[in-house]
Amino acid sequence: MNLTRRARQWLGREITLEDLLPTSMPVYVDSAAYLFGAAALATLGLLALTGLVLAVFGPGWYHASPAGHFVNSLHFWGVQVFFASLLLHLLAKFVMAAWRDGRWKTWIVGTLIFGVAVFTGLTGFLSQTNWDSQWIAVQAKDAMNALGVGAVFNTMDTAQVLTLHVAVLPAAIVLLVLLHLFLVRRDGPVKPMDRRWRRAGRPQ
Amino acid sequence: MSARSEAYLAGIPTKPYDLLREGLVVLAAIAAIVLVLAVAFGSPDYPPVTGQQVARSEPVAFLETSAGILAGASGIQTYGPPYTADRGAAQRVLGLAPANLPGVTIPLDPARDFVLRPLHRLALLSRGVAGALRAFEAASGEQRASWLRAYQAALAHAAAAGDTVRLPAGDFGPVPALMDGMLRLGRAGLLEGALEAGGAPYTLDFTRPLLFFQDDVDHGVARRLDMTGEQWGISNETGAFPGAWWLWPYTFLYQIPPMSTSPNGDLQVAVIMTLIFAVLVFLPFIPGLRSVPRRLGLHRIIWRDWYAHHS
Repeated sequence: MNLTRRARQWLGREITLEDLLPTSMPVYVDSAAYLFGAAALATLGLLALTGLVLAVFGPGWYHASPAGHFVNSLHFWGVQVFFASLLLHLLAKFVMAAWRDGRWKTWIVGTLIFGVAVFTGLTGFLSQTNWDSQWIAVQAKDAMNALGVGAVFNTMDTAQVLTLHVAVLPAAIVLLVLLHLFLVRRDGPVKPMDRRWRRAGRPQ
Repeated sequence: MSARSEAYLAGIPTKPYDLLREGLVVLAAIAAIVLVLAVAFGSPDYPPVTGQQVARSEPVAFLETSAGILAGASGIQTYGPPYTADRGAAQRVLGLAPANLPGVTIPLDPARDFVLRPLHRLALLSRGVAGALRAFEAASGEQRASWLRAYQAALAHAAAAGDTVRLPAGDFGPVPALMDGMLRLGRAGLLEGALEAGGAPYTLDFTRPLLFFQDDVDHGVARRLDMTGEQWGISNETGAFPGAWWLWPYTFLYQIPPMSTSPNGDLQVAVIMTLIFAVLVFLPFIPGLRSVPRRLGLHRIIWRDWYAHHS
């Protein structure tokens, strides 16, 4: 069995270059609501870029350097725009019942991205080494400890939260986003709900 | 298109589209928005509360914290897992206490780790502290408790003047010398270093320094900044900046009974949020909920052109 050949055959069946980089779209894809996902993806890219600069110079940099503080401001507002885009994308896909016609996998992966993003945001606040980190660390520990998670995730262990924030969680988000995009492009945009369809929203 | 897409979109008219162009336009627009917000508003960076600050500006509060920890009155003393072995203190829902499963993974004895151990280090530099420590540790538990009770009561009437804190007279034994040692550690900026895990100089684990002030001192600062739990806690940001507003559903649950008053509130909120997230993830399979979009009818706005011309 040639694994490479089988993988290539599977990929060829699942997705084409036209799916990956489409030059045409069904006419019903005609609303600003379709842009929220792209906005979330674009903001994620900006967060990765500004986060990379912050990571290179270390967590102490932005406290003392005006340039560092500016990059931190870009990262801070990037997070705000990211969550706004993500939430609008989620709401748009909800009102479109976008999980129909077998697209429930795309929905599930998308919600998992949201969950990982929320946890990444928490570790970001914890990594700032300022009052926010100090206060959030001692406050958030109680929920983590109550769940038993405190045994493996200590909000006050700066090395752990920083490593999670700059390496482990971004890697998880990137992998999930790649899977999400693969499913989105493979399956194409879901059709509008048919008025006569009585069981709208039911996955197949 | 793949065979899957061909079959799905059969009969649906298409229009020209440029994925990369659309992506670049969105990227440029988002970058411009973020840039304008960053230039116009900057970002918050409220400095951390340090032992040195507290020792210098709020010496009585510093002494109350240190004496309270030594007397066994800190929140960590009776916290339960992962810090102490008191399994009964773990939060419970439906009789289950998840914190007891892993048990004690970060063992802490607040009086020893937060006060006596730092003082033992200071004792190498101060004969007065060394003598006070010997006297304190040689005394019975009852005697220590008596000294500490008297000292804590006197602190309520203490007056800070410059570098000294004046107390009413009383039988405090060696406690004032010990507390003065803690205050000097704080004023010198050495408290956090003396508290770090096991005294190792090469660590990024700030569990002990952060826990030292977590009770009254941190809550006092948080109250001034509108960041306590009853003020929607960690979803707020310092100053006029937006905080983690996506955590509002989470912090909202802390505002309502029984979570707002229950000793198991953290676990109750965590369980509810886990259930809500599970509902969100598995929404496509939940009868009733998955039909909400059709009943809402907002999709008619998104696809209005399609319904007007093709339906």
